[in-house]
Amino acid sequence: MNLEALASCLSSSACAVTQISTALIIGMLLFMVASGLSLIFGVLGVINFAHGAFYMAGAYIAFFTYQATSSFFLAFLAGALGAGLIGIIFERFIISKVYGKDILMQLLVCYAIILIFDDLVKIIAGPEYKMMGMPDVFALPPLEFAGGFVPAYYVFMIVASLSIGAMLWLAIEKTRIGKIIRALAINPQMVGALGINTTLLYAAVFGVGSMLAGIAGSLAAPTRTLTPGMGLSILIESFIVTVIGGMGSIVGALIAALLIGFTRAFGAIGFPLFVDGIMFGMMAVVLIIKPSGLLGREIAR
Amino acid sequence: MLSVQNLDKRFGGVHATRNVSIDFPEGSLTAIIGPNGAGKTTFFNLISGAFRPNSGKVIFDGQDIVGKSSLEVVRLGMTRAFQVAEIFPSLTVTEAIMATVISHLRKSWTFLRRFPVAEAKSRTEEIIELLGLADKAGTLSRNLSHGDQKLLDIGLALAMEPKVLLLDEPTAGMGPDERWRMIGKVQHLWQVKKMTVLFIEHDMDIVFKIAQKIHVLKYGAVLAQGTADEIRRNQDVIDAYLGADHHLSAAVGEA
Amino acid sequence: MMKAGFLRDLLFAAVVLIVLIVVPFIFTKPSLRDFLIYVMAYGLLAMSLNLLVGLTGLVSFGHAAFFVSGAYMFGLLMQSGRVSIPVAIFVTVLGTAVLALVIGAICVRLKEIYFSFITLAFQMFIHSIILTWVSLTGGDQGLRGGIPRPPFFGIDLSSGVSLYIFSACVFVVCILIMRQVWQSPFGYTLRLIRDNPNRANYLGVDIVRMKLGVFILAGAMASVAGILLSLFVSGAYPEFGFWTTSGEAIFMIMLGGSQLFVGPIIGAILLRLLEHFVSIYTEYHGLVLGIVILAIVLGLRQGVADYVVEYLQRRKEAKVPAAKEAAFVKERVA
Repeated sequence: MNLEALASCLSSSACAVTQISTALIIGMLLFMVASGLSLIFGVLGVINFAHGAFYMAGAYIAFFTYQATSSFFLAFLAGALGAGLIGIIFERFIISKVYGKDILMQLLVCYAIILIFDDLVKIIAGPEYKMMGMPDVFALPPLEFAGGFVPAYYVFMIVASLSIGAMLWLAIEKTRIGKIIRALAINPQMVGALGINTTLLYAAVFGVGSMLAGIAGSLAAPTRTLTPGMGLSILIESFIVTVIGGMGSIVGALIAALLIGFTRAFGAIGFPLFVDGIMFGMMAVVLIIKPSGLLGREIAR
Repeated sequence: MLSVQNLDKRFGGVHATRNVSIDFPEGSLTAIIGPNGAGKTTFFNLISGAFRPNSGKVIFDGQDIVGKSSLEVVRLGMTRAFQVAEIFPSLTVTEAIMATVISHLRKSWTFLRRFPVAEAKSRTEEIIELLGLADKAGTLSRNLSHGDQKLLDIGLALAMEPKVLLLDEPTAGMGPDERWRMIGKVQHLWQVKKMTVLFIEHDMDIVFKIAQKIHVLKYGAVLAQGTADEIRRNQDVIDAYLGADHHLSAAVGEA
Repeated sequence: MMKAGFLRDLLFAAVVLIVLIVVPFIFTKPSLRDFLIYVMAYGLLAMSLNLLVGLTGLVSFGHAAFFVSGAYMFGLLMQSGRVSIPVAIFVTVLGTAVLALVIGAICVRLKEIYFSFITLAFQMFIHSIILTWVSLTGGDQGLRGGIPRPPFFGIDLSSGVSLYIFSACVFVVCILIMRQVWQSPFGYTLRLIRDNPNRANYLGVDIVRMKLGVFILAGAMASVAGILLSLFVSGAYPEFGFWTTSGEAIFMIMLGGSQLFVGPIIGAILLRLLEHFVSIYTEYHGLVLGIVILAIVLGLRQGVADYVVEYLQRRKEAKVPAAKEAAFVKERVA
């Protein structure tokens, strides 16, 4: 425990700004991943324990695309769409076989996928750490905020994530297809009876969910080292976020993701060894007081 | 045995049960009828402790049980069977009933003996015999026919030696012949065990044939109560529920 | 009622114990003994978890909390030098039971997926405490200095062989205890809760109390598994309490089958065998394991042992009508 370090950081605006921006980007990445998880759970009723694998896929695909094309935006697009595509394949051939089954079967299937993906990545990309490095497009001097410095790329990450999150929210709440998807979550048989191809919808929703994870991976690639195990750590945190924010709620995911982001960023200074403990402690408290999460709906299944 | 006084329940804006007062004498066989949405199952839920009423009393065997948990109410001697048979899929008929008898004997926390247990054996066999399921005693509950599952559900409730038994649509989902067989069994069980039985039913022929007393619910309130003849003639009931049925009017005319 | 079933299980346990003890003397590679001890420790963990998952329908994601607390409590007690092994075992099991009581009292009130998540939360919270409280636990290095094994009742555990025999005995005794629980009225009442908790409530079963009871029992058994492992590796490590350990236990149950009593042990053996043999041929044992799991889940739709049992049952039921028909025909013809 190093609370003096924490206090001194908070009083120094340079340190505070750095930590706050770190907190925000951790939060944004988690927000993207958790929204995907929440969407998949809300509509398909599946707890996608393999979600971290799509994050990893997005990161690696972005990395290789950047190596090949030197264009960050192509890399970003490739990572996002690639993860989405893999997600659709995964849904069609594997996950759909365990719809409605025992959660342990779903868990087992997802675990198998994680094992396979991690080794596939090792085979294709090699087990060593990889670094994408900051793309030239973002090789700008850091921006100054309130006495501290924020890397330009961080600003991009935050803006991009919030925009995508807003688009997602708008799509679900305000468009016709969003309404159909919300109906699908509540009464799939009825939606099917109305002549809508639910199979296609399920695949599409899963694809969007995994694409969100892929987006997070692509965004993270310039700032993180890529390793075959990177999916696992983000998985556990995204579950904490989803539980705290509430399954099925995008806004909840944002709030919870920011909460976790700040805990991580400031925790790294004040209580580095116990950050996990605090996060899981918060998760436990939410589960005890309001199991469906801050903004979640009761799971009526 | 069971006296419901001024029972009232709202769910948000829905006034599900309105000031219902009914007495159920010991050993009686009473039917609760009424159109869908009249609050019959809600009534069962209220008196069995599943929901707490907003006001009113439920006097069971001398004490007011409002506020008691459903578990406490069961242990006081009121059990129920459900509209959709609630059974234990992976257990055989014998296993399910014996485990329930053991629960009744309050010996569920026994670690040092092996299941099946000697002192529960005769009671288990007696109930299975009474239900007429003896030849299916070793069958897995999930493999039973629908009718047998409903029977098992009643048997489970019976294994607790209840003073009051609530049956929610015991003949639901059955064809005409099977219905009469089922209700015949219910009547037989009632006579043998001398319990107080309340049942919800939609088949009017059955209700008029076997119920000693009938209570009609509509929109959560008691519309009418009486014997089969009284209810048949009751204009309110005919308007609300039975309908201007030629068959029925003719029967009334004849009587 | 008790005698016949119990005696049969006792006999079976005795045979298993004898086999377990004799086998390493026949196939003398020390790695076989190591393999078997790992299977016993993790198998015991999986069996204890199955009291929750297979018997009661409680899917705990955080069961390794009791595994790791067993390992650390025992390790710390022995390192204090003030207690003998049997006393340390007794205090550890009791202490873990109390821990399970506290955690369980909060968790069992929650339903289904929420129960799963909160058990995970508690486990990772404990894991964090172990990592942070470096002065007590050694932090991420684990308990250092090894675990002393002073002799007790004339038994000396300092040799690999005697430790192995001791572990085998403890293992078999624990399995027998769990077997008794499975076959007891308590065990059958838990099955009621597993199949239809709402109905069980309406049949006079105090669900919360019973769930708490089996939760404590399962936690106590898991702590024994932790003790066995800590004795074997002569230490205790935070990894014992990481969520992946709970995950492994669940996979053993799913692989072997949750409905058959010995399913989890079969799963433990399968998992270890797979890891062992695959790592000989390729370093990509994750890939192979993943494919095998997919084949089992998508192909069999249930654990291996459960599948075999169901297959045998279907064959038996198919034979009966055939036999009846044969008898019918015989009567008519004769």
